[in-house]
Amino acid sequence: MNKRMMKAIIKKDLRDIYRTKSLLTTIIIIPIIFSIVFPTILIGSALLFDLEKAMGADMQKMLDMFLNEIGTKQRIAETPEQQIVYLFINYILPSLFLLVPIITASVVAANSFVGEKERRTLESLLFSPVSIKTLFISKTVASFIPSFLVSVISFILCGLIINGLGYQLFQEIIFPSGNWIVLITCLSPMVTLMTVLLNLFISSRVKTYQEAQNISGIIILPVIGMIAGQASGLFLVGVEITLMISAAILLLNLILLQRITKLNDRHVLFEKQIH
Amino acid sequence: MVEMIEVRGVSKSFGSQQVLKDVDFQVKAGEIVGLLGPNGAGKTTVIRILNGVIKADAGTISIMGLSPTQSDDIRAISGIVTESAGLYHQMSGLENLEFFAELYGVEDNAQIKRLLELFELVDHQHKPVGTYSTGMKKRLALSKALLHNPKILFLDEPTNGLDPDGIKMVLSYLKTYNQQTGTTIILCSHVLHQLEPICDSFAFLENKTIVEQGSKQELEQKYLTEIVVSVSTDYVPQEKTFLGFRCEKFENGMTITLPSKEEISTILKELLKHHRVYSVEIANNDLESIYFKVREKINR
Repeated sequence: MNKRMMKAIIKKDLRDIYRTKSLLTTIIIIPIIFSIVFPTILIGSALLFDLEKAMGADMQKMLDMFLNEIGTKQRIAETPEQQIVYLFINYILPSLFLLVPIITASVVAANSFVGEKERRTLESLLFSPVSIKTLFISKTVASFIPSFLVSVISFILCGLIINGLGYQLFQEIIFPSGNWIVLITCLSPMVTLMTVLLNLFISSRVKTYQEAQNISGIIILPVIGMIAGQASGLFLVGVEITLMISAAILLLNLILLQRITKLNDRHVLFEKQIH
Repeated sequence: MVEMIEVRGVSKSFGSQQVLKDVDFQVKAGEIVGLLGPNGAGKTTVIRILNGVIKADAGTISIMGLSPTQSDDIRAISGIVTESAGLYHQMSGLENLEFFAELYGVEDNAQIKRLLELFELVDHQHKPVGTYSTGMKKRLALSKALLHNPKILFLDEPTNGLDPDGIKMVLSYLKTYNQQTGTTIILCSHVLHQLEPICDSFAFLENKTIVEQGSKQELEQKYLTEIVVSVSTDYVPQEKTFLGFRCEKFENGMTITLPSKEEISTILKELLKHHRVYSVEIANNDLESIYFKVREKINR
C-alpha cells in the first residue's frame, strides 16, 4: 500500500465533500434533525404537556418492561413523566440516532465511489498506478472519517440538548447513559464502517449513484425494526444487547473486508463501471 | 529500433458483442504511431487493453517485457489522455495536477508550473475545471498525462474540442516532445490530416482487427498503384491523354494519372520544352487517400 497515494485520495475525497453542496447539506441537516430537533420535541413536550395522558394506556406495557429492565439499577426516573422521557431518551432515541451514521456514511460513500464513475473520473484512477487495494482502503477511510465525525458531533449536540432541557425535569445530568456510551463508542463506528463497506461493495457492482443508494437503503430496515420493536414494547435494547449487536456487525465487517479485498481485479472493476 | 509494444492475437468481447478479433500490433521505442479507424472500430478498447484496465479474452501483450494486467508498473510509465479527459470538475486545474502528481509519484515540484506555462493555463490554474472550455480541459488532460515524464503516451482523440491554434500547438508540441525525450506515442484519431505530419507509422483498425500497419512510405508503395499528379501549367491539353498517360484539364493546369512516381520527370521534361510549369503535386498520396484505399481493399 502506498501511503502517499492514500493521503492524496483521502484529501481529495474530503475536499470533494466540502465542495459538493448537496452532500454538505445532507451531512449538516441529518445531525440537526436527529440530535437537535427530535430531543427538543421530546423533552419540550414533556415540559409543556402531560405526556402520560397524551400517550394513553398503550404506553403502560412499554413502561412496565422499562421498569423491569432498569428498576433495580437506576432510580433516576421516578414519576411516570420522567420514566417516559427517560425511556425515549435512552432506548428509542439511540435507535433513531443510528440513522445519523447510516445516512451520512451512505451518501458520502456512494458519492466517493459511484460518484467517481458517474463523473468519469474513476477511469483516471484506474489508469493510474494506484493499486485497487490502496484505492479501496483510501475510499473507505475517506468515507469513514467524515461520517464518524458527524456522529460524534451529533452525539455532543444531542447531549447538550438532553442535559440542557432535561435538567428541568430530572434536576440532574442524565446524558450520557450506559446505552449512549456503548452506542457512540461501539455500535456507531461499527455501523458507519458497515455502511461504508457495504456501499463500496455494492458500488463496485452497480453503475449509478441512484442504484447504490437504493440498495444500501436496505441497511435502514434493521434500525426501523429496532425502533418499532422497542416502541411497541416487544423488547428493549440495553447495553448488553448493543454490545452484542456491535460484535455481530464487527464480524460482518470483517467478512465484508475479506470479500472486498478479493475484488482486486482492475479490469473487472473497470468493465463493470464503464461498460 | 526495439519493439516496445508487442500485441499478438488479441481478441475481446463484451458479452456477445465481439469488439476485437485476433489483433496483431507492434510499436517500436520512440515511435509515434497513429491508430486509425472509423468510430466504434475498437481504438479505445485497444488503448484500454494496453493499459491493463480491460483484460483481453485471448492473445498476448508485452509492453517493455511487462504484462499490463499483471503489473502496475506499466501504468506508472504511461501517460494517458482519454476522450472524457477524466478530470475533477469541482477542483481547480492546479489542484487536479497536484492530485495526479501525488498518484504518479512526481518528485519535481517545478513540473506542474512548467506544464501550466507550456499549455497556457497559468491564468486559469485556480479556476474550477468545470468552468474550463473543452480546449482548456484537453490541454489540462495533456498536462496531467505528461506530469511524470511517461515513457509511453496514449492519446485518445487528443485534439477533439481544440481550436485550430490549439490543435497546431498540441501537435507540434507532441512532435517536439517525442524528438527530445524519445517518448513512444500512440495516437488515436479519425482526423487523418492532423496525424499525417507527426506520425512515423500508422495502424489501421477495420472489422475489429488491425488490417494494415506501416510507415507512410511503405503504405504508399503497397496501395498506390497509380499516381495522380496535379500540374499547374500554361499548357492546355487538347486530348484526354498526354504522352500516352490519362489526363484531365482544370483551370490553370491538368491532372495526369501515372503508373509510378518515376514518370513525373518524364512528363515534366516534355512540358518544360515549350511551356511553363508553376507547381507539381501528387494529389492522391495523402493519408486520407491511403486510408480509403486500405478500407476499400479490406471490404472488397
